[in-house]
Amino acid sequence: MTQERSLPLRAVPFMTVAAALVLAAFIGCHNPTSSPEDANKPRADIIRIDGLKQFGSLERPAVVYLHEKHTQALAKKSKDCATCHLADKKYMSTKFMRLKDASKQQTMDIYHNNCTACHRQTAAAGEKAGPVACNECHVDREIPSSWTQIGMDKSLHYRHVKAQENKCEVCHHQVDPLTKKLVYVKGKEDDCRYCHLDQTVANVISMRLASHEQCIDCHRKRLAQNQDAGPAFCGGCHDAGLQKKIQKLKDVPRLMRGQPDVTLIQAVKNDGQKVEPFTRMSVAPFNHIGHETYNDTCRACHHSSMDACGKCHTLQGSKDGKFVNLRTAMHRVSAQASCMGCHDAFQADKRCAGCHASMPRKDWPELAGCGSCHMPKPAAVTPQTEPKAMAAMLLEARKPVTATYSDEDIPETVEIKTLSKQFEPAKLPHRKIVQTLVKNLKDSKLAGAFHRDPGTICQGCHHNSPVAKKPPACASCHGQPFDGRNLFKPGLQAAYHLQCMECHKDMGIEKPAATNCTGCHKEKL
Amino acid sequence: MSISRRTFLGWLGAAGVGTTLGRPAQAAGTANFTGYPDALGVLFDATRCIGCRKCEEACNKVNELPAPVKPFSDLAVLERRRRTDAKTYTVVNRYENVPGAKGPLYRKIQCNHCLEPACASACFVRAFAKNSSGAVTYDESVCVGCRYCMIACPFEIPAYEYDKAFTPRIMKCTFCQPRLLKGQLPGCVEICPSEALTFGKRRNLLKIARERIGQFPARYIDHIYGETEMGGTAWLTVSGVPFRELGMREDLGTTPAPELTKGALSVVPIVAGLWPVLLTGIYAISQRKDKVAREEQAAAVAEAVTQVRAEAKAKLAEALAKADKDKKAAIDKEVKMALADAAKAKAQESAAAPAAAPEKKPS
Repeated sequence: MTQERSLPLRAVPFMTVAAALVLAAFIGCHNPTSSPEDANKPRADIIRIDGLKQFGSLERPAVVYLHEKHTQALAKKSKDCATCHLADKKYMSTKFMRLKDASKQQTMDIYHNNCTACHRQTAAAGEKAGPVACNECHVDREIPSSWTQIGMDKSLHYRHVKAQENKCEVCHHQVDPLTKKLVYVKGKEDDCRYCHLDQTVANVISMRLASHEQCIDCHRKRLAQNQDAGPAFCGGCHDAGLQKKIQKLKDVPRLMRGQPDVTLIQAVKNDGQKVEPFTRMSVAPFNHIGHETYNDTCRACHHSSMDACGKCHTLQGSKDGKFVNLRTAMHRVSAQASCMGCHDAFQADKRCAGCHASMPRKDWPELAGCGSCHMPKPAAVTPQTEPKAMAAMLLEARKPVTATYSDEDIPETVEIKTLSKQFEPAKLPHRKIVQTLVKNLKDSKLAGAFHRDPGTICQGCHHNSPVAKKPPACASCHGQPFDGRNLFKPGLQAAYHLQCMECHKDMGIEKPAATNCTGCHKEKL
Repeated sequence: MSISRRTFLGWLGAAGVGTTLGRPAQAAGTANFTGYPDALGVLFDATRCIGCRKCEEACNKVNELPAPVKPFSDLAVLERRRRTDAKTYTVVNRYENVPGAKGPLYRKIQCNHCLEPACASACFVRAFAKNSSGAVTYDESVCVGCRYCMIACPFEIPAYEYDKAFTPRIMKCTFCQPRLLKGQLPGCVEICPSEALTFGKRRNLLKIARERIGQFPARYIDHIYGETEMGGTAWLTVSGVPFRELGMREDLGTTPAPELTKGALSVVPIVAGLWPVLLTGIYAISQRKDKVAREEQAAAVAEAVTQVRAEAKAKLAEALAKADKDKKAAIDKEVKMALADAAKAKAQESAAAPAAAPEKKPS
């Protein structure tokens, strides 16, 4: 078994895998998977034993160790994890035959003495045994890996909640600031990753180590008692194929931790003073309960703590929020946890990409779109109205629906004849296109929230002009190509072609092919 | 006169020293050239290209190039990566399965009309010219067919008419310079249905490109290919995927090609101006040396001949003298012998019998 704790950062992914495997391994004493090794079958239990890296560069290639191969062999002899792993006070160490890495020589000897001793004994007993010569273990091997990271999604979390009978303290804990001991505080459960980072920092062990110690320990104990338990071998959690077989519950009850159903995005000044919702600009109501259903973890938005956004991301920006002010935190398109960053990611969907892929990607929203979130004060609101009540009112008034004009207002076909020279005019099935776009978005609440105006959907093609039932013709802006006075505007022909072809490409519409002229235009005879 | 190895190396050394004496000629370098102020260009937007090959067709038509084997409507051609060739100024290639792209991507390839063209920097007969319109044009009347331009071009654009035995030309996109001069759009730009090719002043195209990247940061790579590549090109490209995925070189750097060659090319005036003088001088010196040597040799020979002749004459005289002496001696001897004989005979006669005259002892 290897231990890679103090390895350089770039080794983290690999090490994560390795550690996962290590831990999974001690538990995996009775291991349902991996029948006789298929050399080319991707494995999730590949560990690179390179723990000596922490003492300097390696003299020989790291040993590629297959954890499950060993646990299975030991299981046949009724030997368990303790054969290789020493137990600390609470959990079994993930290291091989030791609790700590003392020195390079000592660590190396532990491996050399114990590995080869076991291999020799096994061979002496006339059984199939591992190698004892240096270059039989220390050899560069590439074994296909099926390792995949695993996370606690809502379904998996709920299954744990059920199995533990709502005893959150089984897993959740925090450091008591006075006693410096781990305690559980009801209603203050946090995401593991808030404290357990990628690397062990001071006394807080890495997420990898924490999950391998705690998860596997629990799984093993329950397995020993013949209780329903999660996997205790590498592949059970980390094999891509097996991971997919983990049961997913459809209806997961809402996870309650004191969060609101709906709320107003509340700006807070650096001195902690809340900004009155109506003093500056229209407020943005936030449907918290709705967003819970779209995300698998709280961490998707609450990236560093379960507090309200405004606590760290103050109006002006504060040290706690790394000086990212509220405006940036909500709007920055390139930030994953921001409102716009997350919404923007949805635009890669085929249903959206036809229009949105051609729209410039700005890190800040177009001003015209502000009203979709920032809503004017409802008439019924008084200064005494509770923010939550106000949010509910605003959201009520904002029913998401992708709207469009009535059929008779949408021209059925549009004949593009301005440029017909070699070809007959192209007939654009205009109404069908609009209806298809709207139909595609019927079930999307996100799209509905932003396409409430019937003219919005038209703007996918009829861009750069005010929303109108009768938008200007393409030729009112696009004319001759390569106009030095309008550098960035394509000519009319290119405008048509780019609009149609790029939309088709982004929406995955393969016919007619872009190179098939007669698919859209009949050739002139 | 024959040149010995030593002489040749000596000349070379002298010539080398000569080249280092010259100041780098600023004319060949373009330290601060950022293109003609109102030069035109084209912005190719790879996110807009649909791969219809209309640009290829229009290019072929307006440039009166030979008809291709397969019609331009045949999009199966895109299954193969193509290059520009002597009959094709522009091609569109398709790139499948590009990571991060929703579907196939396309790239149009043609001459990028560098602000400081590598082809022109490599051409020693000035067959290439960067026009104030932005176009890099080629003059076949002066081309000697060395094809250095083909090697120099970092985009591998110029092609050669290998199939023409007597009048082969370099062939490449002209930016439709003749059409530009008439106020018309380049053929490819005019036909492009989706303005994947945007035409305009290069400085405006850069603004347009930046605007697109700024408005759609997720759609585009934040780079305008050609803004600085090889010192900048008139044709620019924006793309949603790394440019290497579209087969474009990302290793070109921002140094214009002439910058790379100006060190070597700046010595051309020296080589052209100084070398003849230098070499003529060296030649003259060596000629004079030879002449002097010849004269000296001639004098020496003459002297030697004179001397030899004199010696021979002396010898002859001596020999003659000796011969005369010998002859005289012989005569004297004969005379003496004759006189002796005569005296002997006279003595015999006189002594009459036994009395013998004293006998001369043989020597």
